Amino acid sequence: MSVLIVLFLTAILVLFSGVFEKGKYARYIGILGLIIGLATSFLPDCEFFAQYKSMYEYSYNAELFTKISVAVTLLLFFLGGFAFSNHRSHQSELYALMLFALCGGIVLFGFQNLVTLFIGIEILSIPLYVMAGANKTDLRSTEASMKYFLMGAFATGFLLFGVALVYGSAGSFDLYEIHDFAYNNPKNLMLIMGAILMLSALAFKVSLAPFHMWSPDVYQGAPSLITAFMASVVKISGFFALFKLMTIAFGGIAGDWINILGVFIILTLLLANVMGLVQTNAKRMLAYSSVSHAGYIALIFFGINNFSTYILGYYLFAYSLATVGVFISLIWVEKIKKETSFTAFNGLGKREPLLAVVSTISMLSMAGIPLTAGFIGKLGIFNQAIGGHYEFLVLVAVLGSALSIAYYLRLIIAMFFYKEDNFHNTERASITYNIVSVVIILALVSMGIVPDLFAKIFGL
Amino acid sequence: MSYLLLTLLLLPLVGSVLLFFWKSSSSKYIALAFGFAQMFIAFYMLGNFDFNPTVDAPLQYEITYPWSSYIKSSFNFGIDGMSMLMVLLTNILVPIITLSSFNESKGYPNSFYALILLMQFGLLGVFTSLDGLLFYVFWEVTLIPIWLIAGLWGQEDKRIKFTTKFFVYTFVGSLFMLIGLIYVYNHAASFALTDLYNANLNVNEQTVIFWFIFFAFAVKLPVFPFHTWQPDTYTYSPTQGSMLLSGIMLKMAVYGVMRYLLPITPLAIGGISGEIVIILSVIGVIYGALIAMISTDTKRLIAYSSLSHVGLIVAGIFASAVVTMRVGLDFEGAQGAMIQSFAHGINVVGLFYCADILYKRFKTRDIRKMGGLAKVAPKFAILFMIILLGATGVPLTNGFIGEFILLKSIFSYNLIMTVLAGLTLILAAAYMLRFYGKTMFGKGDDAVLATTKDISSVEFTVLASLSVFVIVLGVFPQPVIEMVTSSVRFIYSSMLN
Repeated sequence: MSVLIVLFLTAILVLFSGVFEKGKYARYIGILGLIIGLATSFLPDCEFFAQYKSMYEYSYNAELFTKISVAVTLLLFFLGGFAFSNHRSHQSELYALMLFALCGGIVLFGFQNLVTLFIGIEILSIPLYVMAGANKTDLRSTEASMKYFLMGAFATGFLLFGVALVYGSAGSFDLYEIHDFAYNNPKNLMLIMGAILMLSALAFKVSLAPFHMWSPDVYQGAPSLITAFMASVVKISGFFALFKLMTIAFGGIAGDWINILGVFIILTLLLANVMGLVQTNAKRMLAYSSVSHAGYIALIFFGINNFSTYILGYYLFAYSLATVGVFISLIWVEKIKKETSFTAFNGLGKREPLLAVVSTISMLSMAGIPLTAGFIGKLGIFNQAIGGHYEFLVLVAVLGSALSIAYYLRLIIAMFFYKEDNFHNTERASITYNIVSVVIILALVSMGIVPDLFAKIFGL
Repeated sequence: MSYLLLTLLLLPLVGSVLLFFWKSSSSKYIALAFGFAQMFIAFYMLGNFDFNPTVDAPLQYEITYPWSSYIKSSFNFGIDGMSMLMVLLTNILVPIITLSSFNESKGYPNSFYALILLMQFGLLGVFTSLDGLLFYVFWEVTLIPIWLIAGLWGQEDKRIKFTTKFFVYTFVGSLFMLIGLIYVYNHAASFALTDLYNANLNVNEQTVIFWFIFFAFAVKLPVFPFHTWQPDTYTYSPTQGSMLLSGIMLKMAVYGVMRYLLPITPLAIGGISGEIVIILSVIGVIYGALIAMISTDTKRLIAYSSLSHVGLIVAGIFASAVVTMRVGLDFEGAQGAMIQSFAHGINVVGLFYCADILYKRFKTRDIRKMGGLAKVAPKFAILFMIILLGATGVPLTNGFIGEFILLKSIFSYNLIMTVLAGLTLILAAAYMLRFYGKTMFGKGDDAVLATTKDISSVEFTVLASLSVFVIVLGVFPQPVIEMVTSSVRFIYSSMLN
């Protein structure tokens, strides 16, 4: 929980640094704060916070996911300078909002109480509504912000209604008391309704079909760095919250919601991958890819065993790293060419080999090709679902993967197989971009070759 | 001794990384040096290889390292007769393939040769791994380099469409194999080969698993009707890509069928599934040969002839397997399949190279526009003939003995199938001789022929070394049969347990 305090203070500092030199130092303060935060998360937590246990517990799993999301945010901050360079006067606000959203995510990792869950979701979401509209001169960005806000408001409504129904039946906000109640009254209709409403609300947040409609537009409209943040950190937080809520509080009535979730997954995998195939814009393609990954990750609810949390963490980390990896070249291309269609990527392999390679490895990891982290993640998830006898869902997931490789290949082919045309900008990627690229390549490949490495670093 | 195998595996990887980062003008010589070093190690291993092991599971040079505690899988490599033969094939062909590109100037030569070495690394991993997951990992590792080779250095713009098709097709196949392997793993509690063999699945489970895993192999072989990617990819790849694909990569699937599919799902093979596969392969034999008869594109002709020959290999493997499950131990088909795999690798690489030489002389792949080369290129005419006879399966060439044993094993399964599959020999003679007759003796364009030279020293070296294998193995096939006998006996007898 000390991480939360460190990051919150950093966010405030970053916010106020905007007063000086138009926020020139905001990013560096943010990076420093995140590094301190990451270091803190490896230390044992302060005893002082133990008294808040009924609201928020910094448990083993919370620790793991906190480390992952702080690490990913740190990588995004390193990319920040170039990506935000046209928001000169608002840089500090954007960095501060990112940090606040991260704090919301961390609140979600340790919630013990539906109120904390609600607070976490809101702290996570509200900064995002603003950030999605950061390109104030761009209509798409404004649209994205508006759309995200309206959809998010609906989701909040669902969530609150669900919380009310659950509270009305179980008489408590506490996860474990709801758990006990659900075990003793498995046929309580109000509780089941509450569970399903909360499931739907969180499905909004992680963009599971049929609640994914907002994501392609929002992903495309928002500035690329914010999109990367949404696709990585927000997804990690949302999924872990969903996982914790459904397995602990509603684990006893799993029979009542698991089929609904199954339908969500099938819809997600088919819709997202088919839609991904017909895109002509790389950013929209990545949005659909992100939706489809929500479908794969949601398989974690099927055939749960002792390793499930570990697999979830592994998959989410691998996926987030890969997302950042693809967005490196996306940010670069968008900035240089002012657009993100597939043809804009033509010849990137020759111009910026390292950026092209990191994006390629990232997409291969997303597709689940061996020797990348994504393969081990998919293996774990499929293995678990097959062990739990949900072979049918795995088959659908395999079909989804089969479709997905086609659109990942399109981007790779554009980068390496086609020559770039009428393009005269000779600006080269900065050293930070190259360093982040190397870090991501090393992380993805080493996690793919030595799966135990992840457990060793993140302490499991 | 065990470090020998580790060196063999890691050397190509080292070479590949070296070439990727070192943009030297002599990258082709470096690649060739690595290839020869590999070949030397492989032959050294062959020299110390025990041809008649007394134990049941005849593994040699075995190495094991722990991999992951969560996924019960380990870095377990070893070599038995089957692996040894395939390792030899890989290490003989890769230097030859490297050498075959010496006359061309490729763009980005260092990346090209690095990818060939990376490919070699993947192939050797497939042929030596003794762990289901490891096999899958290496199986997929080979896909990326060959896709890049085919896509980046291929001919014409259509290559991108076809290489994408190839990638998606094989990737889908592999995913199904992964699901099958995970299912077996869930029952066996480990990816180790012996555990996978003893997974105790019932007939229905085995049948489903059989088709899941077989799909991956069927795409790569390819078995009719999963072959649609193959002629296009072979045609539009660079020659070296076609050689790697048909000469070595295809053998991964033959090897995979024997090493993984037969012992894991014997009950399915004893049932209807085995028969369906035999029928499909025999259809492939005739279909491939018939299309080859009317093909006018040299590469397409070779691609379809390969489809035909591979059909016979698969039919032989499964005929023996079905007989084993129904009557009693019979591993003749597997012996034939291994010999034929080795021979086919040599022959098809030779044929693709000849097609490449023809393309360079006539600037076209259309057979109708070629002719009369024998007069101006006698050396080429002789070497081409030797390779062609090998591919046709004439006695005393390497193609004969394998096809003979395969047909013999199909005979012990079913007479009609044998007759149908036997058509491959007749049809092969027909299309191969047409190919040779048209290009070598047909009426050629005198203007082109006047400026055409006989083959260069590099081309001569490549074709001559392949021809040596064609003749030596044709006259003296016994060592190869001996090499694989103990391991295929082990595999077929473990089907019965």
